[in-house]
Amino acid sequence: MVMAEAKTKQGSSRLKDANSRKILDQYSRAKRLRKQLEALEQDNFQEDPHIHLNTPNKKLPQFDADEGAPTKKKRKTTRGDHFKQRFRKTFASLVEEEQMSLKEPPNYMTACIPQSKFPARKFCSVCGNPSNYTCVTCGSRYCCVRCLGTHQDTRCLKWTA
Amino acid sequence: MSSASSLVVLDNGAYTAKIGFSSDEEPKLIQNCIAKAKSERRKQFIGNQYEDCRDLSGLYYLLPFQKGYLVNWDVQRQVWEHIFGKEVMNLEPPETSIIITEPYFNFGSIQDAMNEVFFEEYQFQAIHRTNAGTLSAFRCKKEPPKELCCMVVDSGYSFTHIAPYYDGKKVGNAIRRINVGGKLLTNHLKEILSYRQLHVMDETYVINQVKEDVCYVSSQFMPDMEITKLKGAENTIVRDYVLPDFQQIRRGYVKDESSASSANEQCVSLQIIRMNNERFSVPELLFNPSDVSIQEMGIPEAIVHCIGLVEEEMRPHLYKNILLTGGNSLFPGFKERVERDVRAMAPLNYDVRVTLPEKPITYSWQGGKLFSAAENFKELCVTKKEYEEYGQSICLEKFDV
Ligand SMILES: Nc1ncnc2c1ncn2[C@@H]1O[C@H](COP(=O)(O)OP(=O)(O)OP(=O)(O)O)[C@@H](O)[C@H]1O
Ligand SMILES: [Mg+2]
Ligand SMILES: [Zn+2]
Ligand SMILES: [Zn+2]
Repeated sequence: MVMAEAKTKQGSSRLKDANSRKILDQYSRAKRLRKQLEALEQDNFQEDPHIHLNTPNKKLPQFDADEGAPTKKKRKTTRGDHFKQRFRKTFASLVEEEQMSLKEPPNYMTACIPQSKFPARKFCSVCGNPSNYTCVTCGSRYCCVRCLGTHQDTRCLKWTA
Repeated sequence: MSSASSLVVLDNGAYTAKIGFSSDEEPKLIQNCIAKAKSERRKQFIGNQYEDCRDLSGLYYLLPFQKGYLVNWDVQRQVWEHIFGKEVMNLEPPETSIIITEPYFNFGSIQDAMNEVFFEEYQFQAIHRTNAGTLSAFRCKKEPPKELCCMVVDSGYSFTHIAPYYDGKKVGNAIRRINVGGKLLTNHLKEILSYRQLHVMDETYVINQVKEDVCYVSSQFMPDMEITKLKGAENTIVRDYVLPDFQQIRRGYVKDESSASSANEQCVSLQIIRMNNERFSVPELLFNPSDVSIQEMGIPEAIVHCIGLVEEEMRPHLYKNILLTGGNSLFPGFKERVERDVRAMAPLNYDVRVTLPEKPITYSWQGGKLFSAAENFKELCVTKKEYEEYGQSICLEKFDV
């Protein structure tokens, strides 16, 4: 992104300038959207309130990666590496594994519902009302001058950083 | 108190685990998480233990599930041990059989790990793994009007599944997932409130209650939008919600506009959130995921789409038996909206009938309870002995997950 920005500054002709800005925009718009969608999946936004407390407490069971809850019961917890690994897969690696596997569909990927046949509706990014206008700079939607002002003062381009 | 040989049903949701003996009338609902509070520096709250915590502001969650799939086994184990232990069920796994649910299209390595944990670690006598929707379809088939086909809609915490069933068996290649569930709705509400009014990004617990208390599904979205633009008494939608401060107010509530403020309200400086178009634009994401740029069909369109994927003879039977389950179906207006929209999109000559059971969250648990009494139930279980002899392969063979 930094590079793309530098590029727009170098561009001499106005046409070229406009073109490269458009490319930059699309890239950062996609990135902003991705961030927004990721935020909707997040478990917490604040940091772990115990994060500074856990360090001294090291009597943890073996696959407790980050947490300090002392497990009371003594279960059978001796396991080979392969076992531990199985319990450490991230969601992304599970999907990847599924993609590599030779199992016949249907599977997690094929089960995703397709895009709607109806056009997406547009709402003001500030107040949530139906919106008729698009911010020229970043592509966000707004519904009135007041909301545009708020948008420019707060979020416009800020999320692309 | 477990009898000589008991049977437990565990609908292991990403938000709550529904668990109970097959002899119980109702399951217990246990939060499937470990929570940490700012006010309790040393303690972690497993399952519902957080209820004993005085100050629930900024509650921090450790969740076993990600995007609806079990990935954080450390957390899940602690919750299960808590649930199976004295504080909740007081089970003796070696004398207990268990029905346990998992999401559709569960990943292979999670399935293997489930078998391993339930047989090798907890040493259950026998297990039956299935999908929550399958238990719902089983119950639906048994209850009047005993339809052969059932379109199960399960809209829970992580996502929503549309799953057609024929005679209790799922039609796997026509099941579809919408990546919108209650978690996303709460996060979206947090986001828009934080931008428009008050920073509540850290208040998942509180804002989830706001959502459950005042959000609804609109059956006239654009007219409702217009109403929210009106001022004063004309705006019949807007509500002021008093947030808990965990000093005087332990639980948030809708401020009653008509009555004079209570004594409590007079002496405390209240933190209020104004819920206006937020009341219905949040659940609306279940019907129009594209409102937040998730390029997917909403529930009614997805139902029609999935019915289009099954054999033609089955279609009218699915249209006339659409079953709504999962926590999101409790939004006021949810059923009416599904019914209206599916009706509008379905072929005219088909009847459309939508059922919202009285308790959509525990519907599948009740299905599990019924299923455990079925004639062939024992055959569909894998016993510890069988597992020891045949390993993972017999589980693959017997469980339709
Ligand atoms: N009265 C209500 N109104 C609206 N939403 C509700 C209500 N009650 C519960 N919910 C929501 O329902 C969701 C939990 O539903 P449910 O118990 O069906 O999910 P789960 O089975 O734990 O999760 P999953 O099936 O995704 O693994 C939560 O997001 C919760 O906020
Ligand atoms: Mg569920
Ligand atoms: Zn606006
Ligand atoms: Zn902008």
